[in-house]
Amino acid sequence: MTVKILAACGAGVNSSHQIKDAIEKEFKKRGYSVQADAVMVKDVNEDMMKNYDIFTPIAKTDLGFTPAIPVINAGPILYRMPAMAKPVYDKIEGVIKKENLK
Amino acid sequence: MQTIIDLANAVFKPVIDLGAAPIMLIVLTLIAWAVGVNFFHALEGGIKLAIAITAIGSVIGLLTTTYQPALNAFVKSTGINLSITDLGWAPLATITWGSPYTLFFLAILVIVNLILLFLNRTNTLDVDIFDIWHLSFTGLLAIYFGANLFIATILVIFIGILKIINSDLMKPTFNDLLDDWENPMTTTHLNYMMNPVIMVFDKLFDKLFPWLDKYDFDAAKLNEKIGFWGSRFAIGIYLGIFIGLISHQSVKSIATLAFMAATCLELFSIIGSWFIAAVEPLSQGVTDFANKRLGGRMLNIGLDWPFLAGRAEIWAAANVLAPIMLLEALILPGNRILPLGGIIAMGVTPALLVVTRGKIIRMIVIGAIELPLFLWAGTLSAPFITHTARALHAPGIPATGLFSSSTKEGPIEQFIAVLVGKASKGEMMMVLYAALALIAYTALFFWYRHEMMKRNQKYSDEGKEVADDVKFVATHGAAGSAD
Repeated sequence: MTVKILAACGAGVNSSHQIKDAIEKEFKKRGYSVQADAVMVKDVNEDMMKNYDIFTPIAKTDLGFTPAIPVINAGPILYRMPAMAKPVYDKIEGVIKKENLK
Repeated sequence: MQTIIDLANAVFKPVIDLGAAPIMLIVLTLIAWAVGVNFFHALEGGIKLAIAITAIGSVIGLLTTTYQPALNAFVKSTGINLSITDLGWAPLATITWGSPYTLFFLAILVIVNLILLFLNRTNTLDVDIFDIWHLSFTGLLAIYFGANLFIATILVIFIGILKIINSDLMKPTFNDLLDDWENPMTTTHLNYMMNPVIMVFDKLFDKLFPWLDKYDFDAAKLNEKIGFWGSRFAIGIYLGIFIGLISHQSVKSIATLAFMAATCLELFSIIGSWFIAAVEPLSQGVTDFANKRLGGRMLNIGLDWPFLAGRAEIWAAANVLAPIMLLEALILPGNRILPLGGIIAMGVTPALLVVTRGKIIRMIVIGAIELPLFLWAGTLSAPFITHTARALHAPGIPATGLFSSSTKEGPIEQFIAVLVGKASKGEMMMVLYAALALIAYTALFFWYRHEMMKRNQKYSDEGKEVADDVKFVATHGAAGSAD
């Protein structure tokens, strides 16, 4: 089963794509099948969320509704320092294991 | 000397004649390799950049070829000359990254950032390499209007230093807005250089209309109600229909305009993301290079602005400002842009959020007041943008018509670049105007700095962790300590 992750940023162009690429690369290394999509945060809605297993915004995000899927802040991936990104990947892996998504 | 020039021409001219895409493939690959990136990763980035330059040319061509006849008819039927096609920011980024000067300005700004860090004049390490294009755009604009490379570089360094100072000043406000005083995120994004101007209006608001704040509404609820009607492609469709109707097009043409605008706005974003992927190896290489030289010092990390994008006020204000901007564009003297690609004003609203700290009515009112600056700057920059795009020799870019962006970040910096460029030609009046503009710009920035330090002092007095050099009363005993 492929784990589906939703990344979101301002334009859906820069930061969210960095997060998407980094997550896909890291989880390939960890032996998971992960597919991430990058979108504009303003376009995220409850219907869109139904298609994903985990939501990874850059920081705390006020969507106007409470997401039904786990939310993990992925901002530290953008710092470009592996030691700071690792806890984010570990949290995602923790959710994958806990929710039995693999 | 002549022998050296002849030799350089013999070596470089055939490469230059290949056009921007192959040149940038070679240049980006070699530079990323030089900063320590694996050669094949560097080459991958270079190839992606060449593809993105080629693709953006084709989509610009698609949009302008479709829209130019309708915009000309629009001018005829309304008498309003709004004939410049608004591409939005992504194509401008692509065009600017298509210039080798952008890599030169990148190198200069990385060095400036490191010097400021070593001198303890900042706590921010800027890792947002992609957005260097904003300052490169400013430098190239100055060159287009007459500055030499030296003057343009001085201007880029000057604004670059102010941006880094600003990133430190804003840091406590970011912590407040994110409700997270541990995070290291800040930004050197150019859009926040509008803060000083916005601060002037915010202070006027404090004096004259503080009662308006009580009408602030729930921005997240508004965004949820607007839903997909406020998305990029939906706005492309509205504007296509609007332009088609006003310019008396047939139903078939109106449908073509609507769907073509929606298609191009989506494609601009997709191609924009290719650019991010293209410069990613270089970004990582430059960050590793800087980190190695900083010996593990704890720093604020300068990112792109969207770590604030989770604040609903940014999008609520952008949604409300879109029709206001369209209306202003129609009646604003001196404006020639009909908003399209830039109508979701994400280059405008983040700075409004930071200065007003989320007071939505102020964001909308001040946003409406400052939008003309963006439209005028976009109009002024259109010949430069069009010229630079055509110089890429990417297939598809039309030979006629002008294009620009209605909400390009840094309108004030664009005006200054034009004045500095013109002053460089030696005309005394222009030298005087440029000097006065630079003095006013600097004075306004330092007044803003003072106001932000007052704000930061209040945060500190409330027990929040604030670095000594962005407030008045030191509590850490040494300048330069990180938040």
